[in-house]
Amino acid sequence: MSKEQTPKPNTTITIRRRIIITVAVMVLGGFGLLGYNLGCLQLRDYEELQAKASKQQMRATTIPANRGVIYDANMKVLAQSTTVWNISVSPKEIPDEKKEAVAKGLSEILEVDYDALLERMRTSNSYYESVKKKVEKPATDAVREWVSSADLPGVNIDQDTKRYYPYGDFASTVLGFTSSDNKGLAGLEYYYNDTLSGTPGRSVQATNALGYEMPYAEESYYEAKDGNSLVSTLDEVIQHSLEKNLQLAVKTHNVSQRAIGIVMDVNTGAILGMATEGAYDPNDPFTIYDEALRAQVDAVQDDPATADVNEHTEALEKARQFQWRNKAVNDLYEPGSVFKTVTAAAALDSGSSTINSSFSCSGSLTVAGTRMRCAHPEGHGSQTLLQSYVNSCNPAFIQIGTKMGAETFFSYFESFGLTQKTGIDLPGEAQSQFYKAESLGPVQLASSSFGQSIKITPIQMITAVSTAINGGHLVQPHMVSKILDENGNVVKDVTPASKRQVISEETSAQMRTLMAGAAVSKTQVAGYQVGGKSGTSQKLDSGDPEARIASFVAVAPINDPKVAVLIVLDEPHSYSSYGGMLAAPVAGKVLGDVLPYIGIQPVYNEENGEAQVTAGLGDQTGGLLVDVQAALQKQGFFSKVVGNGTTVVRQFPSGGTSLAKGSTVILYTEDGAADSMITVPDIIGRSNTAASQALTAVGLNIFKEGVISDDTNIKALSQNVEPGTQVPAGTVVTVVFGDNTIYD
Amino acid sequence: MKKVKLVKPEKSIGSIDLPFMVLVLTLVIFGLIMLFSASYATAYYRFNDSYKFIKQQAFFAVIGVIAMFVASRVDYHIFHKLALPLLALTMVLLVIVLFMPELNGAKRWIFIPGLGNFQPSEVAKFAVIVLFANIIAVNADKMKTFSYGVLPFGIVLGAVAVLMLLEPHLSGTILICSIGAVMMFIGGTSLKWFGIGGAIGAGGITAAVLAFPDLVPYAMTRIEMWQNPFMDIQGKGHQTVQSLYAIGSGGLFGLGLGNSRQKHMYVPEPQNDFIFSIICEELGFVGAMLVVLLFVALLIRGATIAIYAKDKFGAMLVVGITAQVTIQAMLNIAVVTNTIPNTGISLPFFSYGGTSLLMLLGEMGIVLSVSRQCRYPKE
Repeated sequence: MSKEQTPKPNTTITIRRRIIITVAVMVLGGFGLLGYNLGCLQLRDYEELQAKASKQQMRATTIPANRGVIYDANMKVLAQSTTVWNISVSPKEIPDEKKEAVAKGLSEILEVDYDALLERMRTSNSYYESVKKKVEKPATDAVREWVSSADLPGVNIDQDTKRYYPYGDFASTVLGFTSSDNKGLAGLEYYYNDTLSGTPGRSVQATNALGYEMPYAEESYYEAKDGNSLVSTLDEVIQHSLEKNLQLAVKTHNVSQRAIGIVMDVNTGAILGMATEGAYDPNDPFTIYDEALRAQVDAVQDDPATADVNEHTEALEKARQFQWRNKAVNDLYEPGSVFKTVTAAAALDSGSSTINSSFSCSGSLTVAGTRMRCAHPEGHGSQTLLQSYVNSCNPAFIQIGTKMGAETFFSYFESFGLTQKTGIDLPGEAQSQFYKAESLGPVQLASSSFGQSIKITPIQMITAVSTAINGGHLVQPHMVSKILDENGNVVKDVTPASKRQVISEETSAQMRTLMAGAAVSKTQVAGYQVGGKSGTSQKLDSGDPEARIASFVAVAPINDPKVAVLIVLDEPHSYSSYGGMLAAPVAGKVLGDVLPYIGIQPVYNEENGEAQVTAGLGDQTGGLLVDVQAALQKQGFFSKVVGNGTTVVRQFPSGGTSLAKGSTVILYTEDGAADSMITVPDIIGRSNTAASQALTAVGLNIFKEGVISDDTNIKALSQNVEPGTQVPAGTVVTVVFGDNTIYD
Repeated sequence: MKKVKLVKPEKSIGSIDLPFMVLVLTLVIFGLIMLFSASYATAYYRFNDSYKFIKQQAFFAVIGVIAMFVASRVDYHIFHKLALPLLALTMVLLVIVLFMPELNGAKRWIFIPGLGNFQPSEVAKFAVIVLFANIIAVNADKMKTFSYGVLPFGIVLGAVAVLMLLEPHLSGTILICSIGAVMMFIGGTSLKWFGIGGAIGAGGITAAVLAFPDLVPYAMTRIEMWQNPFMDIQGKGHQTVQSLYAIGSGGLFGLGLGNSRQKHMYVPEPQNDFIFSIICEELGFVGAMLVVLLFVALLIRGATIAIYAKDKFGAMLVVGITAQVTIQAMLNIAVVTNTIPNTGISLPFFSYGGTSLLMLLGEMGIVLSVSRQCRYPKE
């Protein structure tokens, strides 16, 4: 075809021009604007709109991570999480006519209020209304069964975990506890919360607008990472002994501000036991366990005059904080004479004094116009440093402190780690209070030298004492030895190095001599050489002028120290307030349990005291009298027959008791024979032999504790049955023997 | 009316415009894929049959494509004669529909048992296009005058608009008026009449508001919701908000074909007017712009065919049909993106609707028929 043959389109120029104008307007104006708007929505507002859309589309379910276990040193479980379930309803998915049935079933199984639940289900239009949290397995199973048999919609069962402490109030101030959402709130649970808690997983399920899972929609599932477990340095056996003996001390000595005990491995700083009595049960930490305290809180009523202050709640909260406190770490105290260990170590190591340097005491000493007394008002006269330490003589220690000077004193104070927190892996460690070298005037130096006017934590004190006798290296106190992953593999092995050499090996050896001297018989552990130092400090900040802190630190075996025990009784109200009298026996009893347990066998000799030889008493009831008598005799027991029968119908003490050899067993041969009652004599202050005689003479048995020795200083310190009490013949009276010479 | 000699058709039949046909088939196939994706969730929830919508739409698409090729072989000059009958039919249908049962508060559908449903407004659009093309072709040299360039158009549009507003069908009315205005503008109506027409239109709306006060709340709530749809997420703003969530969720590349979440009962009737928001969600900004660009390409190719059409009638038919498709697409996307107030308008080639797709493809056939007789400059 030629060009001429192609006819031109029969449209006008106007039409063509206007078509092009129209297209241009539509493309640039119309579609251009729409493209811009799409860009705004999809590129600029993407995140905001996507988030909002997700919020309505996605239903996320949290998969709780199992919180790690806390083990003791021997892998006994101290805290673990168990699976529980949270029951909720989804009112939006329950038709109105079925709401009553759902509310009825759930309220019956879970023991929740029917009316309140029904009301919530009727008014709420949500997918989640909690019915009951932390439901145990049996109730959960009951709900499951009921839901499937009644075929009711909208009941949700979500897994959760609950912290469980199998030993109850055991080591509670150390372990701490968790909140209902499994966060550590105190103790190791708080300090190691991140380690223990793990990472919760999530299951994200897309749902359609009706709330049902989308068909074909994939579910994203992020697995929970279980928390790591802690292997604590705490030893269940040691902790148990510590708590048992502290509890007894709190009870017998009416300790009003709680008692503290720490057992430490002197060479590694590992804490084998740590307790603050009275404790609480971390399974239910919000209850006040101390009866007096609870009564006190209950007595506080809200004052209507101050509507904005809830007095009762405040009092309750204060009481809770009090019972949760781990005083071994969280509280400061004036260590008193126990601190003389640090002063002596500084004096010996700096060379300002030797163990034989002489100091005189006239019963008091005036420093820059301030008169300071010795606990021994008549004075100790002239004494060596060793004697001064044994005598716990304040005037002598003032002289020792003055002799080394403020600079030296403070540099050792600092070097012993007393100016800083120890860094123990527990929350809320308190910062010590002290005078720096430049502000240590003569009076301050004097009082600091014997452990007053400075305030440190018990953990600092026992760490310093351990340092003094372990060869001079400052150990790092710590609670956790290993961190394990969920499969039990060791993730982290914690063996903290000692921080520094504080005193020389030689000085440390001299310190062991000092402590061995000061502890002679005070800690009353038969069969062991124990070193120690007592302390009785005034509570200068207490309103009660009689308020004292009685403390004792014991180290054993003193020739090769393994463990240190610090016992601090805050405000005892007993026959004495001296640490040597009240705290030392507690430390002794703990060591008596701990030392054999950690494999150190007792050695009985002149110095260590004699062993209490015991034998197990069998159940002899039903046996022929003659046979029983023979058997008892063979075991080393005496017997006393009551009645004229030929067979033993009853015995006292009963079978299964451990009795000291030489004890008398009362054998009843006739039914219905009344016990012959005996009045318990007062034997406190009697010697070993005299006490035994006094009790056996009236027909009672004696069980000796403490140091059993005929040394003239050893006297009966306590008896477990009050004098004047009527008890059956043959009753075993436990008597604690020891040296009650007052040194501190 | 003065008789003019009508241009005779070519003896030998030319070839159809390949780019336009490819664009149309692309849109049809793309539309079917997206309709399936957008509809299967709703189909499943409502009818327990995921294929419920796609089966019917695919059937009409096949019939429609056949119809398109048949129409493309029919000489479009036949519509010179059909213009007035079509208008008459439209008027009748628009009256009949007013006696039909209401659906969602409006009477827009005529139900023919056995055959299905259709909207007379679809027929009205086509009738107006054919009639206007005819008038413009016949009176091309008098288009600047009022009596030829404005009056006939005004009367027809006015009558159709009034009937459609009675349904009420605001979006359809706007669409038809827009198509009419574009055709008048391109056909040569003097620009001053558009100014005057705008003023009269405003007056007409005022009059309509006064005459039918029932329409006021219907329109006003939609405009209120336009300003801030988040004001009432659970209620009147629901549809728009869900649409915006879907569009926004798409981001640049989208969640992937078939992965829309909003189609799971969040966006109401995702297979209908809001299918574009599902496209945005699944295919992202890239996919959304692809759809926009397909319509732009269709517009440009349609304009090209119109420019080179053998005669004014062919040109104006293509202008009208192209304007109908692209303006409707623009309005739909504008609604879905909340650029204009929410009004029910479907997306050509994508939204569910068998008869509507059938008619659309038939119209595409007419464009192709015009393209066969195009006189492109040889270069």
